[in-house]
Amino acid sequence: MSFEPRIGPNGRDDDLTRALRELYAAPVDEGYWAALLERIMARIGEEDGWWQPLAPLARIGVLAAGIALAVASLALTRSREATARMAYETVFETPRSVPLQIATERGQGSEREATLRYVISP
Amino acid sequence: MPGVALHMHSTAVSEPPAESLARAHERDLVLAAQHGSREAFAALVRHHERRAYAVARAITATHEDAQDAVQEGFLHAYRALDRFRPEQSFGAWLHRIVANAALDIGRRRRVRDAETLSESVSLPFRDPAEDDELRRRLIAGLDELSQRQRAVIVLHDVEGFTHGEIGGMLGIPEGTARSDLHHARAALRRLLGDLRSER
Repeated sequence: MSFEPRIGPNGRDDDLTRALRELYAAPVDEGYWAALLERIMARIGEEDGWWQPLAPLARIGVLAAGIALAVASLALTRSREATARMAYETVFETPRSVPLQIATERGQGSEREATLRYVISP
Repeated sequence: MPGVALHMHSTAVSEPPAESLARAHERDLVLAAQHGSREAFAALVRHHERRAYAVARAITATHEDAQDAVQEGFLHAYRALDRFRPEQSFGAWLHRIVANAALDIGRRRRVRDAETLSESVSLPFRDPAEDDELRRRLIAGLDELSQRQRAVIVLHDVEGFTHGEIGGMLGIPEGTARSDLHHARAALRRLLGDLRSER
């Protein structure tokens, strides 16, 4: 392989290009390409073969995951509602009822009667 | 209707009938493959495997890696077939996928080589019977280029892809591909310049 500088108008060095082409030459044997095609299709076949029997199971899995997600969302929503209700009651309802009871019960009998009235009051 | 006649004329000029027919045939194959025809996909593989190999070979270090990249690329393409729009060029789409597979293999190989401190990182497949001085110097020269510069010069000068096509495959701007080509050629000429002056 001789190597003389012959640079074309596109900046390509002909000898360099020729040497690169020889170095990177693809296999010329038709059998090689037929075998490669077979290997590729075999891998695709393996993948399909592995996946297809699992498809019904996968569908069941997806359905189960969907139901679980819905149940979890519902539980989360209810939990948030309960927390909000409790917070509301703690802030607004409990302090108002307790002092009122205490104020009205003071001086009206024994402590035991006051406790009983507090317990049975609405 | 002159407008229609002009349109038909311009279509005929821009794409020869044989190419138009081949494109239509390929689109039919793609549609059939998208509907589950394994035979149609095999026909697409048969038609594109050589060009796909050339793309992979330009990027990977060895023939074996290129072969693996082609297999991986076709497998990825098969999995992603539903996302392919038939009005696109199947070849360009496939080349991007194969180039990505080749780049991934190159990355994995570099990690493995770094872990094992292998010295066999050098580029193209070395033919044991190879004794030509230029060939050996060329291999050494290519080894000094970055992986991307090497891929660009091979894809452009050997395989005839345009800067834009190379940019699309490697995920780089067209201008970067152009600049990589310029630097790769200059570096190889410089490295092989001694050989020229010796002769």
